[in-house]
Amino acid sequence: MSWLRRLVNTFRPGLNRDIDRELSFHIAERAEQLREQGLSAEEAMRRARVQFGNPIAQRERTRDADISGWMDTALRNVRYAFRTLTHTPGFTVTVVLTLALGIGANTAVFSAIDAVLLRPLPFPDGDRLVLIEQTIEGSSNTAIAPARIEDWNRQSSTFEGITGFYVDDAVDTRGELPTRLRRAFVAPRFFDVMGVSPAAGHSFAAVDHHYGGPITLIISDRRWRSLGADPAMVGQSFRVGPNSIETIGIMPASFEFPAKEVDMWSADDIDAPWAISRALTWHTGIGRLKAGVTLEQAQADLSRVQAGLASQFPNTDGKIRVRVTPLKDTVVGGSRASLWLLFGSVSVLLLIACTNIAALLLSRAAKREPEIALRYSLGGSRRAVVGQLLTEAGVLACVGATLGLVVALGATRALRTLAPQLPRVDEIAIDGRILAYTVVSTAVVSLLCGLVPAWRGTRGVRPRPSPGRTQVSQRHSIQWVLVGVQVTLSVTLLAGAALLLRSVDALSRVDRGFDATRVLTFHISGTYGWETTDQHVQRINRAIDEIRELPGVESVAITSTLPGVRDEQQLEFALAEGRDRSSAPLVAEHRMVSPAYFETLQIPLLAGELCRRPADAGGKTGVVTEALVNRRFADLYLADRQAIGLHLTGGLDTLIKNGHLFGAPLPTRIVGIVGDAREHGADRAPSPTVYTCFSAPNPAPWHLVRTSGEPMAMATAIRLKVRELEPQRSVYDVIPLDTRIGDAYAQNRLRTSLLTCFALTALGLVVAGVYGTLSYAVSLRRREVALRLALGALRSTVVHELMATTVRIVGMSAAIGLVLALLFAQSLTTMLYGVTPTDPATLTGVVVVVLTVAFVAALVPATRAAFVQPMRALRED
Amino acid sequence: MSTSKNDILQGTLTLLVLKTLATSKRMHGYAITTHVQRVSDDLLRVEEGSLYPALHRMEQQGWLKSEWGLTEKNREARFYSLTAQGRKQLALEEVSWARFTEGVGRVLRYV
Repeated sequence: MSWLRRLVNTFRPGLNRDIDRELSFHIAERAEQLREQGLSAEEAMRRARVQFGNPIAQRERTRDADISGWMDTALRNVRYAFRTLTHTPGFTVTVVLTLALGIGANTAVFSAIDAVLLRPLPFPDGDRLVLIEQTIEGSSNTAIAPARIEDWNRQSSTFEGITGFYVDDAVDTRGELPTRLRRAFVAPRFFDVMGVSPAAGHSFAAVDHHYGGPITLIISDRRWRSLGADPAMVGQSFRVGPNSIETIGIMPASFEFPAKEVDMWSADDIDAPWAISRALTWHTGIGRLKAGVTLEQAQADLSRVQAGLASQFPNTDGKIRVRVTPLKDTVVGGSRASLWLLFGSVSVLLLIACTNIAALLLSRAAKREPEIALRYSLGGSRRAVVGQLLTEAGVLACVGATLGLVVALGATRALRTLAPQLPRVDEIAIDGRILAYTVVSTAVVSLLCGLVPAWRGTRGVRPRPSPGRTQVSQRHSIQWVLVGVQVTLSVTLLAGAALLLRSVDALSRVDRGFDATRVLTFHISGTYGWETTDQHVQRINRAIDEIRELPGVESVAITSTLPGVRDEQQLEFALAEGRDRSSAPLVAEHRMVSPAYFETLQIPLLAGELCRRPADAGGKTGVVTEALVNRRFADLYLADRQAIGLHLTGGLDTLIKNGHLFGAPLPTRIVGIVGDAREHGADRAPSPTVYTCFSAPNPAPWHLVRTSGEPMAMATAIRLKVRELEPQRSVYDVIPLDTRIGDAYAQNRLRTSLLTCFALTALGLVVAGVYGTLSYAVSLRRREVALRLALGALRSTVVHELMATTVRIVGMSAAIGLVLALLFAQSLTTMLYGVTPTDPATLTGVVVVVLTVAFVAALVPATRAAFVQPMRALRED
Repeated sequence: MSTSKNDILQGTLTLLVLKTLATSKRMHGYAITTHVQRVSDDLLRVEEGSLYPALHRMEQQGWLKSEWGLTEKNREARFYSLTAQGRKQLALEEVSWARFTEGVGRVLRYV
């Protein structure tokens, strides 16, 4: 371990003193010996010293044997770097802050990428979990029939297990006031597929999935804690209406699937009457691949199984295909593209910062040319000088990175606040992996910043001290290259940001087809346990009628699904009157709404009439009788016939929840056609939609209240009204509709504002780059310009000449940047709305902005150069 | 490695120091020089400039260990002694020295 001891010695402060003591002992002994031979004390000492040789050289040589040479050099370089950097505090602070922000932002975004995208899902062998979707020819994904999931599981050979789930609202009736819960209903094998067992108790047995079998619950850790964290809770039963429900297990705190807010899991009965039908669908499918099975093998296997089912059950399975995707992709969802986009742009920004700093270091190296020449003449090697300059860049990068980690800590905390809806956001943390990443990026940054200046700054310097006067150097073309890189990269960034801004703008202008302003949304708690469907309908109708009477309320409606946010409820319908067999299936969005929905959201009725409450339409209270379709539905599926008066059937699945049948089986009569509304997002074109008129899609549906004034101002009046009507019910989730829609696009906005922020920073760096480089070029040419002015050159010519250089370089770089932007904008396609990735107006605008900004930045140093006082400049130095 | 004159001297110094320390318990640098001089009847003189770098290098290599102590005259000095590794090294160096002198001798004897 001699190298280790040497390394330690390098840092030992007492080493020199120790050696000196040892050496002077030797000289003293020698002198004493000489004295004993009869010399005078003085002469003895002199002779001893002469014999010993130069003590400083001796000490150095001895020390060299004790220490690690390269470390010593490095240490000396670092000390020297610190010393020179503190001599130019302005420069140092600028560079360190730039790097701190650059590295900090980069590290923060990387930590998000690492947590969200790179790490496996927090389940054992999480990379083997897949989402299994079924697609029906010509339409998007639909829910899966439980019977089909069982078939898939039995017949496939590449899966350890296939299971399914759906999440539903539930109500806890234990307390004084009912509280709303989220309950996941899971198919058999759910916990085996996830690879997680309850922390206490056990998971579902076959009998739990049997219709008429025991009703059992597994509760989440959070729920268990909110109930008092009693370990004896496992095995306890409680009664809900006629049912006895037993809590059989508690999940570990880390288990948050299918959603963070799920409070409990229940076994879905696979042999319930409604579960046997292959046409009734409500599950989302997931599976666990066997070890070593690839996605392609699983896909091929399951496609084969489904093809078999298709020939066995042509009516229900004929058109169904399956698609297998990694579960992580679903969890991560749309944030993948956003995160990579942010990471890409934040890295480009860091690159711009690096070129900027490289240019600064380059002019610094040029100013130090005399010093470097002196070092050469004293025998310093180019390698040593390069090492010295690189160390300076390294010191800057290290200090910057250290501050950058502080920035990153703050930024990840801010990200968690700003993007709470980002999946796995709680897993983001600065840990060892992230630190390692920072160390590596610091090394890369040091090289990026330091290599060019070190290489160029030491080249062609003659090993002689420079004469008193600074030599005019022509070696600043490389600086213009660096400026060019900055301009190129920032044009690319700005183009991306501008396209996203245009999209946000276009989205805000889009006609949603409904009016979300002055609409308050909330739930009134309700439970499945105590009421019949008729009672639900009557209670909800009474509440909305009463709220309607409140002053300040214009209309009140019920909906199963909130409009304007991504929530798809696709179903396949059929026509009672029959359709051509070859035509596309009637796949449509399904919404259960009360008749006032269209008035409340101001969706126009285009033909026919509005639907009525079943009771008003001459039917039974709890039976759906009438429906409306939107124009898109009519145009797409019923273009060749009169839509009004036809009867829709099918589409039952959302009607069945928890084994409660809401409404009788359709057919429902189409009574009218309404305008197209962008029900699931402003950026999604309206899809064919069926609105069935029913006030109780579930016991606690969304309530929408159109108010004449500020919607939140009505909240208290509504609460009071509900308390008067139903003292035991709570009003919860009271938020204006436009706020909810805004929240749904928060990620979009955050992405856009972050990218805009990066792009503007890049533009700022370009200003600094152009200004700094031109100032430097001008300072080198100061004497030349002065001489020309003295000889009668026009100031305007000088300005013109300097500006021409700048404009030429910036223009060329902007053109290259434009090409890059065109290449990379394709990756933005899915994030853009109402603007193409190659939108000429946007791209031209970006180039104009960059050129203008660069022009203004160059004007100052160019003008200053032209107004130099010739005589003074020539006398300088 | 080239066998320049310097290297031979360097190697010799190591051997001399190891051998010197093997015979006594511990010694400071000055004592080593006087010991070599005396034992070799003034034939060999340790060059003082090379001694201390050599001692320190040998210590770093683990052949010697050093400690501060007092001489008989109550002066503070750094004392060196041989480690187990140093003894092994001495054996190796003695063999290679023997082979070296044997080789040189044969060349010189060749007519």
